[in-house]
Amino acid sequence: MNGPVSAGRWSRRVLAVHTAFIYLFLWVPIGVLAVFSFNTGRQTAVWRGFTLDWYHRLLANEALLAAVRNSLLVAALTTLLATVIGTLAALALRRPETPGRGGTLALLLLPMVIPEVVLGAALLTLFGALGLRLSLTTVVIAHVVFSVSYVTLVVRARLAGLDPALEEAARDLGAGPFETFRRVTLPLIFPGVAASALLVFTLSIDDYVVTSFVAGVGSTTLPLHVYSMLRVGVTPEVNAVSTLLLAGTIVLIVAAQRLMRVSSSEGDRT
Amino acid sequence: MKPWILSAPLGLLLLAGCGAGEKAAEAPKEPRQLNIYIWTNYLPQDVLADFEKRTGIKTRVDTYDSNETILAKLQSGVADYDIAVPSDYMLKALISENLVRELDRSRLQGFENLDPRFLNQKFDPENRHSIPYVWGTAGIGYDTTKVAAPIDSWGALFDPRYKGRILMLDDAREAFGTVLKLQGKSLNETDPAVLRQVAEVLKKQKALVRTYNSSDFANLLTAGDVDVAHGWNGEMAEAVASSKGKLAYVVPKEGGTLWIDSVVLPTSGRNTDAAYEFLRFVLEPEIAARIVNGIHYAGANRAALPKIDEAIRNDPAIYPPQEVLDRCELLEDLGPTTELIDELWTEIKAAS
Repeated sequence: MNGPVSAGRWSRRVLAVHTAFIYLFLWVPIGVLAVFSFNTGRQTAVWRGFTLDWYHRLLANEALLAAVRNSLLVAALTTLLATVIGTLAALALRRPETPGRGGTLALLLLPMVIPEVVLGAALLTLFGALGLRLSLTTVVIAHVVFSVSYVTLVVRARLAGLDPALEEAARDLGAGPFETFRRVTLPLIFPGVAASALLVFTLSIDDYVVTSFVAGVGSTTLPLHVYSMLRVGVTPEVNAVSTLLLAGTIVLIVAAQRLMRVSSSEGDRT
Repeated sequence: MKPWILSAPLGLLLLAGCGAGEKAAEAPKEPRQLNIYIWTNYLPQDVLADFEKRTGIKTRVDTYDSNETILAKLQSGVADYDIAVPSDYMLKALISENLVRELDRSRLQGFENLDPRFLNQKFDPENRHSIPYVWGTAGIGYDTTKVAAPIDSWGALFDPRYKGRILMLDDAREAFGTVLKLQGKSLNETDPAVLRQVAEVLKKQKALVRTYNSSDFANLLTAGDVDVAHGWNGEMAEAVASSKGKLAYVVPKEGGTLWIDSVVLPTSGRNTDAAYEFLRFVLEPEIAARIVNGIHYAGANRAALPKIDEAIRNDPAIYPPQEVLDRCELLEDLGPTTELIDELWTEIKAAS
């Protein structure tokens, strides 16, 4: 009699358990990482007691802090450059009069398909041939190379869903090409642009393979530094720095969501 | 303002605002630079700070995670490193590719402080290109409370009694080395028939092995995940020292691997004078001793020994006695045989 009802309750329960497991799966490693940043022991595997010592040491560890600074700088510059270039590329590729659209798109997407090792080695050879000394600049260039494809792809998808009539209407109403872009196209594709910017930031900040090839003097990034620590053992300083970065990211995401909520509710009112 | 921006057209473009007032990097007023490429934890911060204070040279330190990274960087010809610290077999490759400078002995005051045992090795005869910096061994770390008797042989890694409690380094040459040494052969055996037969032994051993791991072996031993672990002495010594006698490290009686990391001057570096000042600095006994005290690896400076903390100097896991060292052997570049070993190692790892 009450078969369907209990089945519904059952499936809901199974779903709840399933969801709980997914969240556990996602968050337990991060939780462990954060917890062990407060561990007294030098080795990461055994809990020995609570301490803030690793955070103190982190603040004194110039090499690690420099690596964090490098990573943030590279990620910020890469995000800026790749988002602008990728968005412009997506806009150009949308225009039917752009010559060689198919070929250009294929070439743009190539860095996504080639193995990172190949890309890294190729870029290193190129920089060598050009005589460009390895530095943070070469790291940023390399990151932009593999990031642009993602931006173009994401923004292109957003543009595909855009009604051309909106832009035509703007032009009919007397807006010039730039004004149309600024007041119609850009606001409409902005979620795509913002999403790709976040994606690029993430890709850049944890890239290891390509960076390991093209990094030079003064450009050891956080992933490079952590890998190089493996030889002598990763200390909880790395947990500490990861926890701080994680906390920073959470603050940024919450702030961004607040801002978006504010701007979208303002948008509703007008 | 960081000088890298100067040599970086893109950075200059982006940061034109703050970089505009800078002069060219070659300007005479510019403080002298030294770019150091080194393993992590190989140079204590306070030692580096003293070097800067004494010489007025501004240092920049970058770290790498493998010898192969050094090779790739130096091969590109555009890496501005003045100092690098490769391991033995890689140093040989760097020398044969002309990627490191020949050293001028007349500018190396303090060379006589070095321990002759680590000089004139096959990878750099007469040390024409390098000075030894730190060295160590590969052996077995184990939990003394979990084994019947103290371990003294590579045989322990093949002992069915320790089934599921054994850790092997995830490193082809080191793994092959354990079997070769057990059979009384050289670590640098190149006979394909012998190597194939060694691979068979390692395949059979797989049933006993809990995990292959080169980065976290000491942690896994400390945590009790494994009881008998193949590993390098640096991390093992640290784990043993903090285990209150529970753990031990031994270089098996059949002999183990000896490794030596040496300081070289890459040919692509442009601050040769500063690099020589750095070499003279680390050759000083006081400085060499402070480095060892800071990094807990054995240094190659003999004159520094009396100034090294007693706990470190007397730790057999860090400074093994001479008879242990006599049994150790350097891994050499095997040329074309490397490919065969890599292939066999892949087979071993893939076998079920």
